[in-house]
Amino acid sequence: MIRPRLRLVGGVCAGFADHTGVPLATVRLATVLLSLCGGFGALLYGWLWLTVPSVDSRAATEPLPKSSLARSRATSSSSAREARVPPTLTRPVDGPRTGAVDEAGLGSAPSDATAYPRLDPDSARTAPVTEILLGLALLAAGGALVASRLGADIPLAVVVPAIVVLAGTALAWRQFADIRSGVAQQSSALLVRILGALVLVAVGILLFFVTGTNPNAWTVILAAASVLLGVAVVTAPWLLRLWSDLADERAARARESERADIAAHLHDSVLQTLALIQQKAGPHSEAARLARAQERELREWLFTGTRGGGGEPAADLATALRRIAGEIEEDFAVHFEVVTVGAGVSVRSAAAEPNANTADAPESLVAAAREAMLNAARHAGGAVSVYLETGARGIELSVTDRGPGFRLDQIPEDRLGVRESILGRMRRAGGTADVRPGPGGSGTEILLSLPAPAPFSGGPATPAAASSTATDEHHTETSVQ
Amino acid sequence: MTTPDASDEGVRPLEAGGTQHAQGLASAGLRVLIVDDHSIFRSGLRAELGADISVLGEAATVDAAIIAVIELQPRVVLLDVHLPGGRGGGGAEVIREAAPRAQHTLFLALSVSDAADDVVSVIRAGARGYITKSASGAEVSEAARRVADGDAVFSPRLAGFVLDAFGAVAGETAETTEELDRLSARETEVMRLIARGYSYKEVGSTLFIAAKTVETHVSAVLRKLQLSSRHELTAWALERKLL
Repeated sequence: MIRPRLRLVGGVCAGFADHTGVPLATVRLATVLLSLCGGFGALLYGWLWLTVPSVDSRAATEPLPKSSLARSRATSSSSAREARVPPTLTRPVDGPRTGAVDEAGLGSAPSDATAYPRLDPDSARTAPVTEILLGLALLAAGGALVASRLGADIPLAVVVPAIVVLAGTALAWRQFADIRSGVAQQSSALLVRILGALVLVAVGILLFFVTGTNPNAWTVILAAASVLLGVAVVTAPWLLRLWSDLADERAARARESERADIAAHLHDSVLQTLALIQQKAGPHSEAARLARAQERELREWLFTGTRGGGGEPAADLATALRRIAGEIEEDFAVHFEVVTVGAGVSVRSAAAEPNANTADAPESLVAAAREAMLNAARHAGGAVSVYLETGARGIELSVTDRGPGFRLDQIPEDRLGVRESILGRMRRAGGTADVRPGPGGSGTEILLSLPAPAPFSGGPATPAAASSTATDEHHTETSVQ
Repeated sequence: MTTPDASDEGVRPLEAGGTQHAQGLASAGLRVLIVDDHSIFRSGLRAELGADISVLGEAATVDAAIIAVIELQPRVVLLDVHLPGGRGGGGAEVIREAAPRAQHTLFLALSVSDAADDVVSVIRAGARGYITKSASGAEVSEAARRVADGDAVFSPRLAGFVLDAFGAVAGETAETTEELDRLSARETEVMRLIARGYSYKEVGSTLFIAAKTVETHVSAVLRKLQLSSRHELTAWALERKLL
């Protein structure tokens, strides 16, 4: 059972409803009814509040009591700056002078309550319960005083101290919550407020005994013990939470350092061994291929913290290329050296409209690149360079292999591989594809280029398309650049 | 295995003796020191290196490496980026500590990782090149020779990183050769081709320049990488407490 973050008072009812499947309204009604039966429901509620953990207890930045949660949300939003320091906080606790605190407690309630629905429509949880309870308690105190003055038979000797104790407890807990959420900046002022609240509790407890008749030694001892006990009870939940926070933090740190240890160990031993295997086995062997695949997986896990699950489509062009390289490496004796330069470019799905504002690559570019890489793996193998550059000129992608090389005009007309899946695809995407001999006359270089979307005019009238030989190509490249 | 000593050299008849290494025995081949904390990698690399490369010794920790470099005065140190010992600075610390007392020694960084901060740390400390450990023995030998000849060794990955860090892709180019924070148009072209996997010779023939000119450009880029105060580089360095 866990108390959710969306809560009215302590989240106990919501947590219980969620846990058991009973409707939330039923649970709340039952709680209220039980509370009316001699306060049993209220006791149960308080007990559960203290013992049931809150959701996401690892996030220390999320405070537990909802009133301070509301405030921390407010500070993050500039529109609700007025709610930053509710009057109850700025008002020092001035002993059992109930009237002033009463006004302040009630006064802060509407400002808090109205601020939230405005800026965050779905957070109906931010009713300032603490302030309302405090106000109700003080109203009850005032009412009791008035009633007794009017002659009603009210045991003031019991009611007033009880209310003082309750008010002190509520105030103290609020301050603790603030400490915990890290909202308060001046810790000394907060300390004073907490001490004030605790004094209030102590005074309230003492009042029980002072107002009693014929005091003796036992009364004094009992009073002292009660005060100590009362303060302990008030501070206990806070100390408990502090302790559990500390334990959580410690556990998180232990997990983190354990992970770092494992990563360091893997880095030192396994990666080195895999590198050595690749070195020894030669680029074409099965062993090297397996070692490389393992190395890539391990590296991905170590340095990005995520396992490269092949399921979801890569949002980033560079990531997509690396993934394709990995897939092809598993099937062919080839090693892709993928180098990406420039800002990240996301991959746009075929259905989406091209957007001039965000530079993104159509899926067909990825498909064409995949075909080019597959071609290099199939016909050349060995080491293949994949170079991606994204910049002001658009997207440029080259796949360079060291294989026997081939010329476009030597391919039979009926071979669709290169002609359709690379050249045709790029043409339809508004870019160009160029197949030419690799550097130094050996191998093949396939250059895919996609101009930046801004001057997009429909035709493949890019500078790169004008020439087909490698030398001219570079001439235009440099002049454009 | 920590500090190389006389017995290590005794195995190699080509070596003339312990003290006069600093005087550059070019005929004895390229004198190399291997620094890596994994004995399996050291022995593997040692077996794979070319015949003209003689391994003076090996070191496994930062402290042992510093001592070995100063004592043996090798021409090239094949230096792992991640090393235990010392003050935790790894390979960069070795370069900083040992380079002032080994004037003729050049450092070639080897690493299993391609992370940008690793690259920046060793290059800024003074390494003349950076290659990954998955490179074959022949590639490492070639890189070591090139470093010994005074050239810089850039892997495609490092070239890509340089293009990124200097904003070359965004169209920033240096107008004068004195400018440290940007690459010239020619340097950008050279880096772009190296990132595509071209060898220096292939870069030269593609751009119609001599291979030696390519090396000059690469060395200029290396110098900029080491000296530039460009904010991307500095930010990385500051973040890793390298400056």
